[in-house]
Amino acid sequence: MAREFQRGHKAKISDLTAGTDLYVGVRISAPGLTFDISCFGLDADERLSDDRYFVFFNQPKSPEEAIRLLGPQAGDTESFRVTLDRIPGHIQKLSFTATIDGAGQMSQLDPGYLRIVAGGEEVARYAFDGSEFTTERAVMLGDIYLKDVWRFAAVGQGFDGGLEALLKNFGGEVLEEEPAPTAPAPAPGPAPGFAPPAGPAPGFAPPAGPAPGFAPPAAPAPQAPAPAPVPPPAPATPPAPATPSAPAPAFGQPTPPPYGGGPGMPTQPGFPGQAAPPGPPPAPAPMPPAPTVPGQPLPNPFGQPQAPQQPFGPPHQQPFGQIPGQAVPQGPAAGIGVALQKYREAPTGQRWTLQNASLIRADLGHDGQPVLARQGSMVLYQGKIDFSYKGAGLAGRIVGNATGQELQLMRCSGRGQVFFAENAAHVHPIELQGDAVCVSAENVLAFDETLQYEVRRIEGHGIPGGALFTMQFQGTGTVVVKTQGTPVVLPVTPTTFADCQAVVAWSAGAQVIISSQVRLRRNAYPGHSGETVNLQFRGAPGNFIVVQPYEV
Amino acid sequence: MNQPVISGHAPTPPAARMENHGAHMVKIAMATGQDVFARTGSMIAYEGFVQYEPNPPAVRQMASQWLTGEGAPLMRCSGDGLLYLADYGADVVCLNLDNEAISVNGTNLLAFDAHLQWGVERVKGLAKFAGQGLFNVGISGTGWVALTSRGTPIVVDCGRGEDETYVDPDALVAWSTGLRMKSKRTMKASALIGRGSGEAYQIAFSGQGFVVVQPSEDSTDRLRVRG
Repeated sequence: MAREFQRGHKAKISDLTAGTDLYVGVRISAPGLTFDISCFGLDADERLSDDRYFVFFNQPKSPEEAIRLLGPQAGDTESFRVTLDRIPGHIQKLSFTATIDGAGQMSQLDPGYLRIVAGGEEVARYAFDGSEFTTERAVMLGDIYLKDVWRFAAVGQGFDGGLEALLKNFGGEVLEEEPAPTAPAPAPGPAPGFAPPAGPAPGFAPPAGPAPGFAPPAAPAPQAPAPAPVPPPAPATPPAPATPSAPAPAFGQPTPPPYGGGPGMPTQPGFPGQAAPPGPPPAPAPMPPAPTVPGQPLPNPFGQPQAPQQPFGPPHQQPFGQIPGQAVPQGPAAGIGVALQKYREAPTGQRWTLQNASLIRADLGHDGQPVLARQGSMVLYQGKIDFSYKGAGLAGRIVGNATGQELQLMRCSGRGQVFFAENAAHVHPIELQGDAVCVSAENVLAFDETLQYEVRRIEGHGIPGGALFTMQFQGTGTVVVKTQGTPVVLPVTPTTFADCQAVVAWSAGAQVIISSQVRLRRNAYPGHSGETVNLQFRGAPGNFIVVQPYEV
Repeated sequence: MNQPVISGHAPTPPAARMENHGAHMVKIAMATGQDVFARTGSMIAYEGFVQYEPNPPAVRQMASQWLTGEGAPLMRCSGDGLLYLADYGADVVCLNLDNEAISVNGTNLLAFDAHLQWGVERVKGLAKFAGQGLFNVGISGTGWVALTSRGTPIVVDCGRGEDETYVDPDALVAWSTGLRMKSKRTMKASALIGRGSGEAYQIAFSGQGFVVVQPSEDSTDRLRVRG
């Protein structure tokens, strides 16, 4: 099902799937290590020129939501949703990366994978394990890139330096700009690259363990799972943010966050913990970085504004199939005619025309022969058709009296078209040309009056109603049989048995024998007699029986 | 849990406001401001933030004739997300009205866009024959309508001959507005057509247009029966 990729393999996305709505899942794990998995949206020069397209736990979606972080699910350590046709033109490449949060190296990796799922089906999988790596601390797992068309490449390229090296690879200025990260560098967290903006308030950079630099107040809380490996110098701060941000996850997920948020924290409605006004940084100490950052345009789009809003929780709540904020596709305004085209009436011509699985049309008037049909099976007619009562004859009376379920027929005569159906059962026209067929009386829908028919009675102990009534049709014409569900046609062999309630029809050449199975013990509960009475069929090769998946 | 059986039935991304998922389920892409009226009790699943308002005041007024005393069997669905509707395994047909009009048997109506013009009308002269009272909902405008049908429906052109088209009311799903309709009772004691005994009645359509018929005479309103 899924196409297996190895390092260096490439393929067009269109060869993998016709869809453009992809789910990208990454499974990466190692004993005792935590990983940060992120997606870089790069421009044609493979630079991270637009920070808003760095999608990671603290910025879980790109502005137009073409790339969204979904969080761990379905066995994936991290997952993304990528909508290719909504990715803006200046983003030419999506690079999916994993970095170790803390100490460790990639050689410790357990077997993992990067996979692409489209339309509910896994279409590509790039599997890797620690043996492919050595001391790397960051790895580019795979790329989805635009080269005429969108393609996927399994990359598997490691970087010794961790996320910093990765960032340098993608857009060095972030790092170059700020020597400070070296200070918190011991914090090998994913974020050091972003720490620099916090420079003006150096005291704050360190506090958060996993995300030292960005995400002033709220972030640390959601990220709590990754405990700070760093001994932060400002010990007072970390606990503070934890509490106020706690309520954050519960709120505000669906609203798309205001991006590129100005200097202030945009007031997030329903964000109780922290009154948004940036000026008076209320409770948490770490907040000050936010106001200070605005001076630096580049890093700004990261953490601050969105941070409070993007706890890990919400991605799970956002159903994958849903596209919030997107205009609902209205589809083609085709009109009724187009929509109903496939249900159009089949062209006329033959006497019996199957319209669909459960509807058959009889064209009367070609030969003036009437049709006999079960009463009430007419759903529609056109033309001058006369319906009249047709008794089933003396034998039919017996049917009715014995079973309490009389097969009542009506005669349809005249000129026109009559549509027969009953209870959405499947209908099957059987055309007889001189041969004969037996049909269980309950399964007869309609037949030509030209056919000779007689009612037969199969008696046997244990048959509900005391006997099974069948109609044997003979001659030239069509008999329409209805079945609940798709029937099976079995050739008659020496060991052909059928439940007397499920059997629909059999060729008249087959001989029916009642076979009762002797059981020592019957099923005890009432209303169930067990499968004790079967019909056995005997006949020359060429005979058949028809059985429906429904025991009347 | 990554078997084809499971993954093969995952929904496809919505491409239209109303789409079939399989033959028996409709998937509606909901968005704020684009509400949908759906039969009460027809929701089988939804994703996202969808809210339901049973028996909304607007409907109560419109559908006062629908079934008296019990409230209208419609709910207003609003919000963002994907809404899945079904009616006990009946086939679902999605229609996109392009400034057109259609009359739908009330039992066979599953959902429609709230911005469409609609009204409930009883079929003159017929209501007293049908056991449950035959009523139909006229819908017009530009938008989506979802119908149900027990079995694959068929569309029959009425304007083919000079003769009228007669339909068993229990099998009638929808028809184009503009058709003339009248009831036809077969009073002959020997003629027994249709469910039950004694009285047989059909609806006769004439004029230019089409009739949608289901291959079943089960006109039970299952959603209503369940309550």
